[in-house]
Amino acid sequence: MSFTLRSVKVPPNSVSLQEARSRTFDFFRSACRSIPSVMEIYNLHDVATPSQLRSTIASEIRKNAHITNPKVIDMLLFKAMEELNNIVEHAKQRHHIIGQYVIGRGGLVQDLGTKDQGISNFLKNFYDSNYF
Amino acid sequence: MGLGLLASRALRSSRIFTSPNPRNAIVRTIVSTPELHNPEAAAAAQAQPDPPPTDLPGRTSVGGARVHFPNPEDAIEVFVDGYPVKIPKGMTVLQACEVAGVDIPRFCYHSRLSIAGNCRMCLVEVEKSPKPVASCAMPALPGMKIKTDTPVAKKAREGVMEFLLMNHPLDCPICDQGGECDLQDQSMAFGSDRGRFTEMKRSVVDKNLGPLVKTVMTRCIQCTRCVRFATEVAGVQDLGMLGRGSGEEIGTYVERLMTSELSGNVIDICPVGALTSKPFAFKARNWELKGTESIDVTDAVGSNIRIDSRGPEVMRILPRLNEDINEEWISDKTRFCYDGLKRQRLNDPMIRGADGRFKTVSWRDALAVVAEVAHQVKPEEIVGIAGQLSDAESMMVLKDFLNKMGSNNVWSEGNGMHPNADLRSGHLLNSTMSGLEKADIFLLVGTQPRVEAAMVNARIRKTVRATQAKVGYIGPATDFNYDHQHLGTGPQTLIEIAEGRHSFCSALLNAKNPAIIVGAGIFERNDKDAIFSAVETIAKHGKIIRRDWNGLNVLLLNAAQAAALDLGLVPESGKSIESAKFLYLMGADDVNLEKLPSDAFVVYQGHHGDRNVYRANVIFPAAAFSEKEGTYENTEGRAQQTLPAVPTVGDSRDDWKIIRALSEVAGIWLPYDTLSAVRSRIRTVAPNLLHMDETEPATFSALLKPEFCQKMSLTPFGAAVENFYMTDSITRASKIMAQCSALLSKK
Ligand code: SF4
Ligand code: FES
Repeated sequence: MSFTLRSVKVPPNSVSLQEARSRTFDFFRSACRSIPSVMEIYNLHDVATPSQLRSTIASEIRKNAHITNPKVIDMLLFKAMEELNNIVEHAKQRHHIIGQYVIGRGGLVQDLGTKDQGISNFLKNFYDSNYF
Repeated sequence: MGLGLLASRALRSSRIFTSPNPRNAIVRTIVSTPELHNPEAAAAAQAQPDPPPTDLPGRTSVGGARVHFPNPEDAIEVFVDGYPVKIPKGMTVLQACEVAGVDIPRFCYHSRLSIAGNCRMCLVEVEKSPKPVASCAMPALPGMKIKTDTPVAKKAREGVMEFLLMNHPLDCPICDQGGECDLQDQSMAFGSDRGRFTEMKRSVVDKNLGPLVKTVMTRCIQCTRCVRFATEVAGVQDLGMLGRGSGEEIGTYVERLMTSELSGNVIDICPVGALTSKPFAFKARNWELKGTESIDVTDAVGSNIRIDSRGPEVMRILPRLNEDINEEWISDKTRFCYDGLKRQRLNDPMIRGADGRFKTVSWRDALAVVAEVAHQVKPEEIVGIAGQLSDAESMMVLKDFLNKMGSNNVWSEGNGMHPNADLRSGHLLNSTMSGLEKADIFLLVGTQPRVEAAMVNARIRKTVRATQAKVGYIGPATDFNYDHQHLGTGPQTLIEIAEGRHSFCSALLNAKNPAIIVGAGIFERNDKDAIFSAVETIAKHGKIIRRDWNGLNVLLLNAAQAAALDLGLVPESGKSIESAKFLYLMGADDVNLEKLPSDAFVVYQGHHGDRNVYRANVIFPAAAFSEKEGTYENTEGRAQQTLPAVPTVGDSRDDWKIIRALSEVAGIWLPYDTLSAVRSRIRTVAPNLLHMDETEPATFSALLKPEFCQKMSLTPFGAAVENFYMTDSITRASKIMAQCSALLSKK
């Protein structure tokens, strides 16, 4: 199923923000559609649910919500498409997916316990690193 | 030279000179720059449009140097390239050119050494002199017209370069000096673009100068800077010039090492790659290094250094010019201790388990354990000791932490159990280091400046050489590199001087600016107050403390000492270690823990797994001086700052941050979140620590002190520093320092 998702040639630039917006939705939909197969390929059933992955995709997109230049959006979409292709083509390995999209930037050990509550920002930063 | 070689040389040169092909001969005599072919004619051609020397804009001197006129009548005027400059009488032509903003190429001239005038690179043309003159050795005369840019001068330089390069190997790609080599730079600027020598280059046997200085003697250009440095500044007669002509070599006369605490400086002054750093050999190229201007902490002098690093690694340490402290030298300990920063480092918080082994834990757990124990002991049983290398910020935070816990038993090692922190003059080098040059007699009491503070010793030596100042010394027999009188070994002599019974007294009374230097080793003696009052009696008799001169000095040993006393790190009781239940060591490795109760809980916060780590229950890894920003006060009371050159190792943290975090976990919450917040706290205690790079003179003199009538014991003074090369946790971890001290003990 190689290169199925990528449009054969580079599409013309979006003329308006409106067009770029709809392209973004198109991308989101195609990404969501590939979630079941991705979970199958990378055997993610015991670490994530489809809705978790969907919200990860959504949050990755929302990270760039402030961008209004259609050219930049096109570029980001292109990169996103490339990434999606790599994932669907099994060009990555399981730990890549888990590291990037399941665990995310929070890190492996997430101290969600109660012991960090009520401590100052200084101490929180201190536990993280020397440089703050 | 073997006979065969001689013969082949003769053959070869005769072949060249009797070359049958005349065209070939012409090719061989090409001078690289054709317009220099006939310098006299070119000079004449240039001399015509000589601009009139009026209304010329002022020029800036080299490096922004300013001229100091000791006597305004002695000013003379010379013309450098047509620009008139006023200089004091007695300056050399080279210095006059520098004032005029013209940098003269040089190899042998060095402003802090005597003038040798043997490299001839500094040739300039002087009007009415028949030949170019060596500007470094020629005194400037009134009205002299110096020309630095004429074809004659250029040709002279080109010729000198050619001769120098005749025997200099083409080593640059494998030479450690490459990139910072005077010869390389100057041959690019002034040299010819081709050589005319076909003979073999001479080669010279390398000399063994010990574990610090690597020699490649073939590269030497016989500038004799190193020889002059050794005899004049370092005060050892080890290096010398052997042989004559092409057989001339630098070497130690007999097979021996260079035994000086300043030997590393020959690396900096050697203009070529003949003397380079042995530990740095083939490690890095100078253009890939990042320089960070910092402060040395291995002694109390606070030498200005530049830490050269590549990525996370300190590659070398070089001196930085500071006329008031280290001039442009640093001691070998300062220069070569850096490999200790890579060994024995503590990189994770650790707790000693039930089996006596350390287990790595997270910061969270380590802090929680310590906070809990700290609350279980009585406040009086809490003791904190700051180590030799602590910066002022962390000592401030340590003191505040302990005070908030209810204890006031906090001090800095080396200051003894009864330090006197009330009068700053009682623990500072009051005459300042550059002020020592004004002294005309020195009395050293229980101090061996050569090992305690090599840069102070260099100053004393400079003064002794320049003005024949007398030096009297009381203490155990030791090495001096200048003339001195060994007056005695213990307090007995001191009493004799104080009572005016000693022969040294008359010299002391007749002196204009007498200086007494008391070693900080005396702080550890029980009769220290009696000794100090004896010294003060001498000071009173000898008029040593006057409005214009304060000659009563204390020479401290460690980088942290002065700041600790300024911040008031003074123990409440002299017996606190014996009753301690909770001991907080902030890098303190030289305190004796034998008397510590065996059930005491010891926290060691520091960067090296040194002596007292063996007794620790919990280890907090901290940053070394090369990794943090910290304030240090040197022995003359000058506050200076280190800057981080490399990142911290592993999971370690800055010292003040650790204590700040611990205070929060312990529930007493020190109110500082940033370094500037800590500094504003320091401002309320010792504002002088925030006046960077300034000495804050002590306002009250020691003579205001109340009289002490303590019994003086007659035990002779001891040596405060047993091994110059290993005095703190960094130097003790350093392999190079270990090699040096092994050689020292063998000798
Ligand atoms: S070793 Fe270096 S400093 Fe010494 S004479 Fe040779 S070139 Fe000069
Ligand atoms: S610098 Fe003048 S002769 Fe060497």
